[in-house]
Amino acid sequence: MAQHCTLKLYGHVVDIDTKENLLSANISLKEINKQITTDEKGDFVFDGLCSGEYTLLITHVNCDNVEKKITLTNNIHLDILMPHSRKLMNEVTVDAKRGIQNTGFKKELSGKALEETKGQSLAEALSRINGVTMLQTGSTIAKPVIHGLHSNRILTINNGVRQEGQQWGNEHAPEIDPFIASKLVVIKGVDELRYGSDAIGGVILVEPRALRDKPGYAAELNTAYFTNNRQYVVSGVFEQQLKKQPAFRYRLQGTYKKGANATTPNYRLNNTGSEEKNFSITAGWKKERFNTELFYSQFATQVGIFNGSHIGNLTDLQQAIAAPKPAEVFLGQTTYKIQRPYQDVIHHLLKSKTIFYKGENKFSVLLAGQFNHRREFDVVRSSSNTKPQLDLSIYTLSQDITWEHPRKNNFSGMVGLALVQQDNSYSGRYFIPNYFSYSVGSYAIEKWSKQKWELQAGLRYDNKTINTTRLKFNGDTLNYDFNFSTFASSFNVLYKAGNNWKLNTNISLASRAPHVNELLSDGIHHGTATYEKGDITLQREQAVNINAGINFQNTHQTFTLDINVYSNNIRNFIYQQPQPDRPVLTIAGAFPLIEYKQTDAVLSGVDVAASYKITPRFEWNPKLSVLYAWNKSTKDWLIWMPANRVSNELVFNFQDKKAFANSYLSVEVANVMQQKRIPGETNGKQDYKLPPAGYTLVSLNASSTITLFKTPVTFSVGVRNALNTVYRDYLNSMRYFTDEMGRNVHVRLKVPLENLHHH
Amino acid sequence: MKKQITKIVLAVFIAGAIFTSCKKDKVEENEEEVITTMIVKLTPAGGGAVLEYKFDDPDGPGANAPTIQEIVLAPSKTYSAEIILLDKSKMPVDTISNEVADEKEAHRFYYEVQAGANVTVSNLDADANGVPVGLTSTWTTGAVSTGKMQITLRHYPAIPPNKAVADLVNSTKSGTDISTVDIGGFTVKIQ
Repeated sequence: MAQHCTLKLYGHVVDIDTKENLLSANISLKEINKQITTDEKGDFVFDGLCSGEYTLLITHVNCDNVEKKITLTNNIHLDILMPHSRKLMNEVTVDAKRGIQNTGFKKELSGKALEETKGQSLAEALSRINGVTMLQTGSTIAKPVIHGLHSNRILTINNGVRQEGQQWGNEHAPEIDPFIASKLVVIKGVDELRYGSDAIGGVILVEPRALRDKPGYAAELNTAYFTNNRQYVVSGVFEQQLKKQPAFRYRLQGTYKKGANATTPNYRLNNTGSEEKNFSITAGWKKERFNTELFYSQFATQVGIFNGSHIGNLTDLQQAIAAPKPAEVFLGQTTYKIQRPYQDVIHHLLKSKTIFYKGENKFSVLLAGQFNHRREFDVVRSSSNTKPQLDLSIYTLSQDITWEHPRKNNFSGMVGLALVQQDNSYSGRYFIPNYFSYSVGSYAIEKWSKQKWELQAGLRYDNKTINTTRLKFNGDTLNYDFNFSTFASSFNVLYKAGNNWKLNTNISLASRAPHVNELLSDGIHHGTATYEKGDITLQREQAVNINAGINFQNTHQTFTLDINVYSNNIRNFIYQQPQPDRPVLTIAGAFPLIEYKQTDAVLSGVDVAASYKITPRFEWNPKLSVLYAWNKSTKDWLIWMPANRVSNELVFNFQDKKAFANSYLSVEVANVMQQKRIPGETNGKQDYKLPPAGYTLVSLNASSTITLFKTPVTFSVGVRNALNTVYRDYLNSMRYFTDEMGRNVHVRLKVPLENLHHH
Repeated sequence: MKKQITKIVLAVFIAGAIFTSCKKDKVEENEEEVITTMIVKLTPAGGGAVLEYKFDDPDGPGANAPTIQEIVLAPSKTYSAEIILLDKSKMPVDTISNEVADEKEAHRFYYEVQAGANVTVSNLDADANGVPVGLTSTWTTGAVSTGKMQITLRHYPAIPPNKAVADLVNSTKSGTDISTVDIGGFTVKIQ
């Protein structure tokens, strides 16, 4: 009997997390061994099928596999939602047709892995990437550290604009709301040159999703609650593309975060609350050959500083350090109220980006303005005093023009011009001077790819002038003017050996001009009871960074291995050298002197990460990160560098059942070792206290997406430091006084809403 | 196309130029509530010249080191002592001891007599809770001698300060605002 074999199976494949239509998704019908791939719209069609039962297997390079069983009796249309892959490996290169893509050293946090960090700060989220750690001041202030380098040596690019605030300060966290990002990326190599010649430590890209591409609107609400400091977070986003005017789209986004005092396993720390209010607006007009976007964001935060750490002179500091725990008077309050000492920071960003085409040439003009106002309110004698003790305002204007030439003979490339003007002023305590700086930079990047090979090269030159003024109260004027020229270049080779292996080698030269704090600091840094002194004769740092990476994935896609080895040789490395034999005497007693010095340093290490699907539902993800930071001049280790760390994660993915999808349970055991590589005491005491003991933290996470009233609501619950371990971390300046946070249970909810206009 | 690029570049430079002209210079205000000078004012009981001895750092932390004077007292005499704190970096000079007097619950002076100085310090003034403050005190001298005295001002930053009678000079509840220890203390000569 002839079967009814003229049936059609249509489908549309979408990435559930990035909302992108998936090109080149592979759909196979097991029973008849037929395969097809999706087009740019994510659509596919199977023709001439017989009625019957079929098992579809849908795979895509960026997503976890999806399997579906269907019974075909009539023509069917299927909408397939693919979950973005949870793995944190080097992302696969997207096809070269789309122009210049990021390749070389690139580590990305997106999809499920990024979801798991919602509600945390930017630095906490980034520390999920292997090789990235944190520099902390208590539990509320954190900055990212990439392979041991941070602050002025890392560029943070916020939605395409180089973030400019007072990032030189160890206690100055980046003023960026991680909720605006759909991707957090760490890059090194040729693409760094688009942003500066001074990215000795690397570049962090905070990238939002592109504006909505289909008519209708969508909204998402994210909310979370953390038990340790009773912190609640609410973030919402709304975006729309008008049906009548599809060229116009916009997005509104806002976040509110408030936390009370945090607790260690044994005591609660007073004045460790925080509050954050952020919002952003994006509006865009997109035509085929012209695309312009306007973006405004505001980030405002108030952060309490544990008041048991605000002591007087060196003797007081040594006293506090010797105490096993802080004095009772600084412990035990559960309030949300923030008192002195606290930080109050607001950051405004206004950006306009226009992309237009002339023939096959792509031009982009980016204009941005930033205003960062940072105030520190210290403990003062008179309770009627409402003024800040440190008040820094910095305005930055930047203009970036780029030209991407048409792809020809497998070459693609771009040339760019970057201009920056900055005005910094202070009132109250002197720490860095008033200054005006302007810089001009230009760069060129070329990429060549053919079959298994991809070569990239880039050059950049910047010239920066800084005019500083310090008008003292007694009439003295101290003016210092500086001019720095910095060169950078990078060369990258990527080789794809077969389907399973990718090898990447990169050599980059970067150069960083000293910043005003390194040149002109002159005063007591109260938080550390030290007198910091800059040096106007400092020269620019010059770094040669060699990076080699291997990525292996087996054919069945059950095993992935990623190894990255690096060696960063930095000449004229600027660091702070204690001078224990020359304390600064003041009316409050002696403060140790710490001077900015230069040395030759080399930072080498290795990051290893693997992912093994022991069974299709059970995954093991081990990670390892090791850094050796050596001061070549003193022939000793460098101070304050992250210790070795190892972590093991086990994930169990449950089968989708009725309304429950993408359910998983994971446990992570992370071990940070004691830092044994610290400078000795031949040049005098280098630190107040030895690095703390190593520690192990256990974290659990469980998540499920439940379809309620046709809406896929994602609910997750988890614990950080599940065993309530008492520990201190070497890179947290509060380690002199207190333990780290104890157990922290969190609950998260994500509710997406969409009004799709089906085509 | 050339015209468009020229226009863009011009606009960019104009923006930069406008920005440059908006620059303003601010005069540094010296750090608030800096104490530059501690004056120990001693009035002899029953009349006589008022004595003043200074621990002074007029340019604040850094630059020139502080200087400390010798305290010279007559033997077997009683003096009323008062501490005056000044911030000489402000115009007019700010009297910080007035602020300490307003916040007695959060401050305490400690007087430590050392190395053979024949003087006793007593009768310290107290805050509303009866805990000593020490802005004023009574100094009683004995026989001719030479010795040392350390004067320390401690500040309690917690809210509430929780200052207690039993608190020692190095209590972890407080931090140092003034200390003569590192400079060697006041030399006290009774002659």
